[in-house]
Amino acid sequence: MSTTPPAPSDSGTPNNSNPKTTAGTLLPNDTFPFPREFFFPPFFTRQTNLTTHHAQLTKWSSLLLAYCRHHRLFRLSLNPDAIPFHNPRINRRLAPGDIRGVVGFLRKDGRAEYVLPLGQAKKDGTMTTTARGGGGGGGEAGEGGEAFIYWRTPEEWGSLIEAWVEETGQRGSVLTVYELREGEGTRGTEIWGMDGDVLVKALGTVVKRGKAQIFQSGEDSLGVKFF
Amino acid sequence: MPSTAPSTRFPNPTPTLPPNVNLTSPLLTFHLHPHFQLHSIPLPRLTYINKVGLAAFDRSRLTSAQYATHGSALRSSQASALETQLSVFRSLLQQFAATHAKDIKSNPTFRAQFARMCAAIGVDPLLASSGHGDSKGKGDSMWAQLLGRTVNDFYFELAVRVVEVCGETRGENGGLIEVGMVRERVVKGRVEGMGADTINRDDILRAVGTLKPLGSAYSVIKVGSKQYIRSVPKELNTDQSAVLEAAQVLGYVSVSMLMDNLRWTRARAQTALEDLVGEGMLWVDKQGIEWEYWSPGFMLEGDLPLEGFD
Repeated sequence: MSTTPPAPSDSGTPNNSNPKTTAGTLLPNDTFPFPREFFFPPFFTRQTNLTTHHAQLTKWSSLLLAYCRHHRLFRLSLNPDAIPFHNPRINRRLAPGDIRGVVGFLRKDGRAEYVLPLGQAKKDGTMTTTARGGGGGGGEAGEGGEAFIYWRTPEEWGSLIEAWVEETGQRGSVLTVYELREGEGTRGTEIWGMDGDVLVKALGTVVKRGKAQIFQSGEDSLGVKFF
Repeated sequence: MPSTAPSTRFPNPTPTLPPNVNLTSPLLTFHLHPHFQLHSIPLPRLTYINKVGLAAFDRSRLTSAQYATHGSALRSSQASALETQLSVFRSLLQQFAATHAKDIKSNPTFRAQFARMCAAIGVDPLLASSGHGDSKGKGDSMWAQLLGRTVNDFYFELAVRVVEVCGETRGENGGLIEVGMVRERVVKGRVEGMGADTINRDDILRAVGTLKPLGSAYSVIKVGSKQYIRSVPKELNTDQSAVLEAAQVLGYVSVSMLMDNLRWTRARAQTALEDLVGEGMLWVDKQGIEWEYWSPGFMLEGDLPLEGFD
């Protein structure tokens, strides 16, 4: 069992020490061990030197992926006034444009997608009926907004789900998305409690490989069958 | 022939041991014939680069005023006694190295003392192993075989690691990284079961020294109170060095800090700062009252403002 960071201090008691794990420093009300660069003021300013900026983007990307993985966040609010884009300890924030810069950097690696609000027109002219992610160029979510942060990509999730289906001998059975997300069968696995949209995307990657089929299963739910 | 007690062999000896060699250290004990107690023999200060063996012993140093007064016969007998002593010493050192090769490789304190000992008698184990010493006597080939290979391999592997660490961090520090930081990262990356206490700063510095033949790309520079490894050809001018040194105090500098403390004009301060930013050696923080230019080393060590003020 891996060691967990110490519990955060109560919001009521002032914390004079800087609780540290071997990996980083804790902020109140957050169990994530923040790396040292998070307390480095220039980390929140877009660096003018190109090489330095690239190093900065790399560090921010790692930070966001680690933060979301730690808290099992599938989508992140791109709010400059909230952690992790804001460090209240040093009173520094990443500007909205720079936040988009980091998300853009992650997108290039397939590790992020903007969350399009419901009802927005997608590139192919159809309307979003669920908050599916926007790919391509027009994927900006406007002020604030949200992005999927893929500490595990939909492809990686797809493989994981496929492996679970194989292990539990459910190839050929029909499963609903609801069952996958909240059923007893997946409890204790990483699949349980997944974000619905990411789950559907993940299943979509398996469909693309010809190893599964998705269909409508009742009014508002989807089903999937693995081959 | 002067009489017996070793301490009277050399009247009023002025040359002394190099100050950083501790021959009585418990880590290095040599059992010599009682008439040849090492601490009573004054070793002249020796230079050792590219000199292996007795050629390193500069006989001219014995011709001090005190020796001259005792005549040439005494001089030559003292010189030959010293030669004998050194030869005994070197061969004992060789035997010692052979039996303790493993310890030399794994214990940095021991290794440092051993290296200083070698330097004191005019032998550089790294040079010896590369075959520079050619006609210096049968002991040298054994030296190179037994010790040189061990020590040489160790520093060669370490140099490779140092180069890797510099490459990994160049993006964020512009090619200037503090020696202690390199040591930490090298130690962290080691998988052979060698802990943090088996490599020290001296080892890092010596490893960088072995990179000299590769050209000026890797060197150790001192800025203020800290030593850095520079892995880019860019050399700092005096203003740039002064800025980096100033940044060591608080972790950052600003234009007004330079103007106030160094009495520079605004233009001069800005030029130096922009130069360093251009080289990737400073990061900029634009969210304070004034732009602050931070040394990237503080991202990895040093006291960051972790106390909140919210």
